[in-house]
Amino acid sequence: MDQAWLIPAIPAAAFAILLIFGPYLPRKGDWLAIAAIGASFILVFPVLADLLDQADGTTYVAGEKAWEWISFDLAGVGEKFEIEIGFYVDPITIVMLAVVTLVALMVQVYSIAYMKGDSRYGWYFTVMSLFAASMLLLVLSNNLLLLYAGWEAVGFCSFLLIGFWWEKRSAAEAAKKAFITTRIGDVGLLIGIIMLWLEGPNTFNIQEIITFAEEGGYDNTYLTGAVLLMFMGALGKSGQFPLHVWLPDAMEGPTPVSALIHAATMVVAGVYLVARMLPLFEVADPIALDVVLVVGLTTVMISATMGLAATDIKRVIAYSTLNSLGLMFVALGSSAVAAAMLYLFVHGFFKALLFLGAGSVIHATKEQDMNRLGGLAAKMPITAAVFAIGTLAMIGIIPLSGFWAKDEVLVFAKEEQNIIVYLVLLSSLVITGLYMTRLFVRTFLFAPREQAAYDHAHEGGLLITVPLLILGLLATVGGFVVFDEVGEALGFPGGFAQFVFLNEAHEFEFHLDTAITSSVLAGGGAVAGWILWQNKAELAARIRDRFAPVSTLLSNRYYIDEIYQFVIDRIVLGLGSIIAWFDRVVVNDGGVDGSAKLGYFTGFEAKFLQTGRLPNYALAIVVGILVLSIAMLVTQV
Amino acid sequence: MIPIDNFLVLSAILFSLGMYGVLVRRNAVLILMSVELMLQAVAINFVAFAVYLNPETFTGLIFGIFVIVIAAAEVGLALAIILRLFRNRQISNVDEADLMKW
Repeated sequence: MDQAWLIPAIPAAAFAILLIFGPYLPRKGDWLAIAAIGASFILVFPVLADLLDQADGTTYVAGEKAWEWISFDLAGVGEKFEIEIGFYVDPITIVMLAVVTLVALMVQVYSIAYMKGDSRYGWYFTVMSLFAASMLLLVLSNNLLLLYAGWEAVGFCSFLLIGFWWEKRSAAEAAKKAFITTRIGDVGLLIGIIMLWLEGPNTFNIQEIITFAEEGGYDNTYLTGAVLLMFMGALGKSGQFPLHVWLPDAMEGPTPVSALIHAATMVVAGVYLVARMLPLFEVADPIALDVVLVVGLTTVMISATMGLAATDIKRVIAYSTLNSLGLMFVALGSSAVAAAMLYLFVHGFFKALLFLGAGSVIHATKEQDMNRLGGLAAKMPITAAVFAIGTLAMIGIIPLSGFWAKDEVLVFAKEEQNIIVYLVLLSSLVITGLYMTRLFVRTFLFAPREQAAYDHAHEGGLLITVPLLILGLLATVGGFVVFDEVGEALGFPGGFAQFVFLNEAHEFEFHLDTAITSSVLAGGGAVAGWILWQNKAELAARIRDRFAPVSTLLSNRYYIDEIYQFVIDRIVLGLGSIIAWFDRVVVNDGGVDGSAKLGYFTGFEAKFLQTGRLPNYALAIVVGILVLSIAMLVTQV
Repeated sequence: MIPIDNFLVLSAILFSLGMYGVLVRRNAVLILMSVELMLQAVAINFVAFAVYLNPETFTGLIFGIFVIVIAAAEVGLALAIILRLFRNRQISNVDEADLMKW
């Protein structure tokens, strides 16, 4: 446990070195960034071993290590105000650490080839190091303030990386959009943190706050408000409806960045936050968990349907991320931490795989519109094969990793929630099958639609294919950790749910009915997708024309961006112009300039009182004395 | 014994004369003389009150001497200024020396 702090510290140190000496290092220091994240990845194992050593069968003694950061006496209260730099390790942290370090390592290795020759090659690796360090800090932090610091640093790095090619106007705008949209959520998170501290046990320590809440320390309504505000932060970071608008636009960044943001470092932070604070959600009014559930469900449905209409391959994958995150929130809304974390774990692998595969296509063809791709499987067999694995894992085909995770979520949704929730999830499976198959079929199979892109296509070098193959392997077998036998073979006490859990460990059970239902629906969706979009996709085009309004609605993303634009233009800017007028006329002209003018004019006029003539002064003195004498006489009477 | 009122009335008349002189005269030397008049009016007040109210101590009397000494010093200083003013600018009227202004 004592080494845990090194995990974020090493990439952070690499960032500092790269920032200052990066340009003078050989190869601009990419090896340093990769070595740092590699070291972090290796360090996860001793930390995990420590955690397992301390396990006493049913619970894990979480490790904690802290240094004092800020400490002073609170005036008038007689209490100390303390902020720690503390690190906390429990199974949830381990899962996050494993996903973040491994995916970041793969992405950075892949980036050597992908970003080769870029004018800001060194800067790219510098920011990547900071990105990984911030996310690792976020998941390891034992207190809310340090978590918030990591949270904001992650947001800042995503801003830098989404806008990495800021010469392109759309990239700069996307970066701003991502930053501002997530900031709306962050305000909620900050207020939530302050609320928990204000009424809480005078500490930011997460475990102490949870204990305090479980003992009934908070007023129930107050706590509900606080956790919902914190959930707002998760909403923004994880791109959940209604703050999902930044995520598809974030595709403007380099593709490995998208892989990192979607699979490991940025969007899962929201899931992690809710998973970490889930005890508070449980103590609070049930409405808090219902909100999480409903938001997740809404996101699942709107993202799946929007994925049907997008034609940019990266955007389709972005919508699939929203879809997956929605599922995780549905799981969290059902208090199924194990299911959510399992999905997060395998999602990290297959989503990184999909993005890096898409990056491989874009790198080779310089094209990312699937209307201009097609037939690439012949030229890029490895990419096509691993992309197929990623696609099937996302759809949830047995025995790929996505199946097991999705099944866990479904089982919980079925057992814990209303039947409607279960039905909505099942219907989303069909749509996921449809759009993911569409993505694969339109990109890799049948006749190429644009010869130039096809001719250009080629398999990338080892730096591109090896990370793809490793991730492909993980996406295939990653789901087997649900089995007790696999867990035991790896040194864990049992399957995934016996390692990661909220209150008590779960035995993994295979629910045949859920498995068959979901497989049939997802497989049916995939087959339907194949039929619809095979060859020249004539069938799909016919359906699209038949339901033209729906298709327009979907390809315009439900007009949510337009509604936001309208709100910003009319309401926010309208309100802003009133405030701007007040500032300009009252504050500036009246207050600031006005007082300055007053001083100027009085000085300019009053200076003529100084005549320099002695008799005037003498007269003034006499008159003054007379006035004062009379005043004294009057007041004394 | 002469009643104190007489001294006070004398002092007031002297003071008023001095004040009148300061206000209406233009010649610096004459203004200085008027200021002297006002100072001596105050000195008369001090002495009169000292004798009538508290004859055992010399406080008021010493104040009177102080006023005379300081007035003498002040006159010395002021006359020096007037002299320099006259040497440099050939003026002795106070309303002509009006450079110390905005």
